[in-house]
Amino acid sequence: MTAPAKVWDYRTLITNLAMRDLRSRYKKSFLGWMWSLINPAVSLGIYTVVFGFFLGGNDSALLAGNGRTKSFALFLFCGLVVWNAFSSGVNQSIASFLAAGPMLTRTYFPPECPIIASTLTTLIQTSIESAILMAFMFALGNVGWTMLLLPVIVALLTLMAFGIGLLVSLLNVRYRDVNYLVGIALQLIFYGTPIVYRLDTIDTKIAGIDPTSLLVLNPLTHFVEAIRSSLYLLHAPSLRNWIAMVLSATLSVTIGWWVFSRKAPRFIEEI
Amino acid sequence: MAEPKIIVDNVSKQFRLQADRSTSIKELFTRRGRDKSVDEFWALKDVSLEIPEGSMYALIGHNGSGKSTLLRCIAGIYQPNGGAVHVDGRISTLLELGAGFHPDLSGRENIYMNATMLGMSRKSIDAVFDDIVGFAGVERFLDSPVKVYSTGMYVRLGFSVAVHVQPEILIIDEVIAVGDEQFQRRCFDHLYSLRKQGVTIVVVTHGLAIVETMCDGAAWLEGGVLQRVGTGPEVAAAYLGRVNDREAEQREETRVRLISSDAGAASPERAESHEDITIDDVTFANADGEDVSHIVHGEKFRLRIHYTASAPVEEPVFGFAIHAMNGVHVTGTNTQINGVSTGVVAGSGVAEFAVPAMPLVPAEYEVSGAIADRHVQRLFDRRDREWRLIVRHGSNLPPHGLMDLGGEWSFVQEDPT
Repeated sequence: MTAPAKVWDYRTLITNLAMRDLRSRYKKSFLGWMWSLINPAVSLGIYTVVFGFFLGGNDSALLAGNGRTKSFALFLFCGLVVWNAFSSGVNQSIASFLAAGPMLTRTYFPPECPIIASTLTTLIQTSIESAILMAFMFALGNVGWTMLLLPVIVALLTLMAFGIGLLVSLLNVRYRDVNYLVGIALQLIFYGTPIVYRLDTIDTKIAGIDPTSLLVLNPLTHFVEAIRSSLYLLHAPSLRNWIAMVLSATLSVTIGWWVFSRKAPRFIEEI
Repeated sequence: MAEPKIIVDNVSKQFRLQADRSTSIKELFTRRGRDKSVDEFWALKDVSLEIPEGSMYALIGHNGSGKSTLLRCIAGIYQPNGGAVHVDGRISTLLELGAGFHPDLSGRENIYMNATMLGMSRKSIDAVFDDIVGFAGVERFLDSPVKVYSTGMYVRLGFSVAVHVQPEILIIDEVIAVGDEQFQRRCFDHLYSLRKQGVTIVVVTHGLAIVETMCDGAAWLEGGVLQRVGTGPEVAAAYLGRVNDREAEQREETRVRLISSDAGAASPERAESHEDITIDDVTFANADGEDVSHIVHGEKFRLRIHYTASAPVEEPVFGFAIHAMNGVHVTGTNTQINGVSTGVVAGSGVAEFAVPAMPLVPAEYEVSGAIADRHVQRLFDRRDREWRLIVRHGSNLPPHGLMDLGGEWSFVQEDPT
């Protein structure tokens, strides 16, 4: 295992890579940094209109923790924050590792660095989205102590995405199919996670199996549930949620980093 | 001898030859049973060497001999398939032109980027930032994206960053050669001063003069196999000897081919190159006019060009050149330069150039001969470095360098007032 100490030595490089990523993202755009606020705000607005007025998704089960608010849009947005953090975490890892290829074959630095950097930029984006979500919650007077759990949940989520990002970006160097497979897998996972629907409203059985029992095997389900309960419903996530989140984050990082540090040097020669 | 800073222990490195080998998962399954050994290529085979601390070490060899692979193994970019590399200290690398530069970022951003990639902290970059910019000479373009930089600026900036990050070990591939003469000299001056500060430097170079004069040690690789390890001059001489032998072989082959093709229908090319005067031989003679195998330093010697003219030629120009074994052109002259009239030359004969005292220091030299027309526009015959001139020690101690100026010392002492 590449000693995390070695990575720590290269922390300046990691921050530089992350800064470069952020800077180039909004370079030559008039509004610059504002875009990272505008995008999530606009999508939240769209959900409110579509789900609040057109589809009328605001049933009584959606009552927020303050006992007044009923907004499917905010409920949905909680799930989307999780989803965006995960999917862009994985996608950015693949892209950043591939882009770092020419540098990695010409200079030595721990190959984890670009992936850590891209994870950091994703984390920043997630934080911005979370802040917007929080701002709406505050505006609606839906506030509670459980909101303080958000950083912990986001940290675990980031770690899980990081571990998976390490694995897939490594594989993608050798088998470029991985990029496409990841695209398909992400679509499946999106609908296999209760983001646009709720776990407790499923009441059908497919071939005699309750789909819920399968969906709880997906760690993202627990992240979505955890964020919803702590930000929207304002009660602490269940123990089951916590166990699933900690377990998936730990396993993902351990396995991901272990495989990555063993195989990366060989794979880099082929970038 | 200083402690070894870098130990390369029996290192082997293998590559798979096929570049677009199973890059899709499908191929992973369809190719399974096939013999993989055919695709393998050993870039390095059991290479072992030690590089002492504070030395300048050169890797030489033909293109594709494994030098760059070895550098990458030392730098930790490649992991050897066999053996191990032990490196003790912080490494800085300059392996390729503009390595790690991002074309869209400015020179300033790239300096920070590149230096952090080499493991520097932001604070220590700030401290040497001006030095980096000054050495590279890119002050005016600091905030332009590096994609608009010229090749020279690219190299200068890359080199400047690599040498200013306070490395303990500096690894440089054949990139300096891209810069102009002046820059190359500055580079080597800088490397020299770094070495004096105790930095261990490993370079890949084709400049044998650099290997001879600047490098404490050198290794010569050929086809991934270590041919020779030793001091700079030793290895350079051995390498050059091989290159010359090979060249001679090739020349011999060409000659045999030409002769055998002559046996058939005479080709027009051959007829054209069959000139009016040819050099039969070049010999060296001593003061007494006897042909000798070697010349004594400081003694009279004669260089004789034996020729045969198949037809009378008016005012041909005879010339010769002497090269040191490291390729340095020591001297050369011809009858035109010396203002000698050769008249009409016909039949066989000898053109002799006599030197009163052999000024070259004891060593082996290579001699070329040529005969051209009166305007030195057309060559009748030219034989490149075909003869070996051996200069031996005489009774006097020879001077340093290449030649003896033959001067005399004298002193004028001023009275102390």
